[in-house]
Amino acid sequence: MAQEYDIKGMVTKIKALRKNAEDLKKVSGGIPAVDKNADRILANVRMLEIDITDAVELMGK
Amino acid sequence: MNNGEYWNPILETMPRERLQKLQLKKFREIFTWAYERSKFYHKLYGDAGIEPGDIKKFEDIKKVPKIEKSMMRSIQGKDPFPYGDILSVPLEEVTAYRQTSGTTGQPVYQADTWQDWEFSTEAYCYALYAQGYRAKDRIFLPFGYNIFIAFWAYHYAGEKLGCEVIPGGVLNTEARILKMQELKATAMGATPTYVLGMAETARKMGIDPPKDLYIRKITVAGEPGGSIPATRKRMEEAWGAKVFDQVGSTEIGHWGWECHHQAGLHVNEGFFLVEVEDVNTGESISEPGRKGKMVVTTFNRMAQPCIRFDVKDLIQWNARKCDCGRTFRLLEGGIQGRADDITKVKGVLLSPMAIEEVVRDIPQLSQEYQVVVTKKGDIDDITLKVEILPEYKKDTDAIKAKLTDQLRLKTNLGYNIEIHEYESLPRSQTKSRRFQDLRPH
Repeated sequence: MAQEYDIKGMVTKIKALRKNAEDLKKVSGGIPAVDKNADRILANVRMLEIDITDAVELMGK
Repeated sequence: MNNGEYWNPILETMPRERLQKLQLKKFREIFTWAYERSKFYHKLYGDAGIEPGDIKKFEDIKKVPKIEKSMMRSIQGKDPFPYGDILSVPLEEVTAYRQTSGTTGQPVYQADTWQDWEFSTEAYCYALYAQGYRAKDRIFLPFGYNIFIAFWAYHYAGEKLGCEVIPGGVLNTEARILKMQELKATAMGATPTYVLGMAETARKMGIDPPKDLYIRKITVAGEPGGSIPATRKRMEEAWGAKVFDQVGSTEIGHWGWECHHQAGLHVNEGFFLVEVEDVNTGESISEPGRKGKMVVTTFNRMAQPCIRFDVKDLIQWNARKCDCGRTFRLLEGGIQGRADDITKVKGVLLSPMAIEEVVRDIPQLSQEYQVVVTKKGDIDDITLKVEILPEYKKDTDAIKAKLTDQLRLKTNLGYNIEIHEYESLPRSQTKSRRFQDLRPH
């Protein structure tokens, strides 16, 4: 079934995901279980940026 | 609007003008990344007098020096060990090693970070989703999980889509077939050679794949068969399944795939830049219908960037637009061979794929064949060995005559044709090298 999507909303939330994961690493005290899981999250955030953010950024130019 | 057709409608239906702008932006980014972090690329570009600021418009990309497999081979084995100066991240960030199959020489080592591997997986998700894979699919992977990239990304992409993935690893062919049957697997990925070989084995076991198994989607890669109509037809009939071609390589990633309309290979132009160049002059070919050599750039593989890689595969753009609505361009006939494989025999340019198309289009022959080129005195001599299916042995002369006619028509060459007993030619489970050029060079 066709569904509408909110591009600006997605971009905002992707940015927030990156910030949250990076901030989590700042307060982890180097706990490997936190840092390494945050790294995996950031790798997935990068995929969201490649799929959505990078493409959308050009729309305004 | 997302209508369920696309993995990512934003990229896959992006207007072409904007897509090209995105490609230029992404090319600049990976070029800058490599220039600043890889000693190999820094020297290559420094020697050519080109730096990131020089890539201002799309046409400037052409000024960037190409890389070849031989260059990668020459730098590997040194520090940062074993990848050498191409490495663009600290060694401790590398999380996976793989290597090329070595079909054309010494294997090339490939470093990936976890993010790079996510990228490879993501690229494969575009393919599988376009081919109709969904969470309800149970995928069987009859592949020897090892140092070759082969179907690793297919596995991870299947999981990411939510499919249930059965790793068929070290099982032998019979055990794989039985496991597929037992678990009612609905899809699989393998090389065309193995897809045909498995069907042959299944029939010997008394299992008729279309009737007794549940496989309805097959993704093939590693060999050109998926885009050779006669080979595809054989596979689809042998399994009662739709067969989709998918292309990629260790160094590049998974850059092209067929969607469920099977209208040709789509290039994922949001993730890769594929250029076509005239084999002799290097001139850019942008128009459809003209065959040339592929040069490809991967936008988001960061540990070991792949920028303007001269793959030596032959491709051509297709003018046709696919009914799927994607704006990614189509290739005509998939990978049409390797520039290295096109060889002159008796003064005529010969592509081994043309021979495969003829052989696989004759149903009385098995899928196996071998081509051997030798020299008798000053004259090239070409022998084609094929296998006749047992029930058609009485038709040997007629089949030989048909082969001779079809080969003359498709390749403009005469052959010594040897008809062999069924199952007497060697079988391969991986990339097959069926073409042997034994002429002294």
